[in-house]
Amino acid sequence: MAGWKSLFPVDLAEESRLSRREFARFMALVSAGFTGGIGYLYLRRKPLDGAPASAGDHPAELKVCRAEDLALGNSFLFTYRDAKDRCILIHTPKGEWRAYRQTCTHLGCAVRWDGRRLECPCHNGAFEVELGFPVAGPPTRPLSRLNVELRPDGWVWVHGDLPKPTLPGQGGDA
Amino acid sequence: MIPPAKSHLTGAAMAVVLLVVLIQAYLFETVLEAVLDGQRGALPGALAVSALLSALALFLAFKIQHVSRIPSGDAEKAPTLDQHK
Repeated sequence: MAGWKSLFPVDLAEESRLSRREFARFMALVSAGFTGGIGYLYLRRKPLDGAPASAGDHPAELKVCRAEDLALGNSFLFTYRDAKDRCILIHTPKGEWRAYRQTCTHLGCAVRWDGRRLECPCHNGAFEVELGFPVAGPPTRPLSRLNVELRPDGWVWVHGDLPKPTLPGQGGDA
Repeated sequence: MIPPAKSHLTGAAMAVVLLVVLIQAYLFETVLEAVLDGQRGALPGALAVSALLSALALFLAFKIQHVSRIPSGDAEKAPTLDQHK
């Protein structure tokens, strides 16, 4: 008998046999693994890669740029909560102002403004500019949105806790 | 003749364990999504619920031992699990 067979004396037929209880135990351990994962997220103090700092750690509002410096149909990149929290300010062709987190809700690539909608170059995802909802590609969740305010002094300010936008009639700030 | 005693997990217990795993997967995905969005407020509650569900699943899978197919009058004479091993 080969050496490895004496070390693992299990027949192939026995190897594939799995009782209901053994399967249930495996599933229970998987469940415990999920709990461990949530516990790790709870105990971890530092934000995950790509995640912003907690909502209380950022200024309530931010002065982004002068309105006259951003022509219709153009965008401006800025950071909001911390250096990793990249956001994008858009002056839409209709003359409206929108600001979103630049992180795609699929796998976290940076979305970019193409003059009509926000596109993710990684997997060809796209988001409409009105509310940030996905309209093409793999993303299923909308972009996080900031409130934009154009003040009398000509500066564009953003503020908010980056809540998920909701469809009109469902409540929220959309 | 006494049929062999067997450690038996009922279908209901199995269904509960599977349901718990499904809920845990959904809970974990939701919590991870919230944390990546910078919102950690739901973590303590989610952890408590998840721990409770895991305790239930582990209890059902490891602790409860139903000995089935033993006639009531022969229960004392019935072989135990250890004897079968």
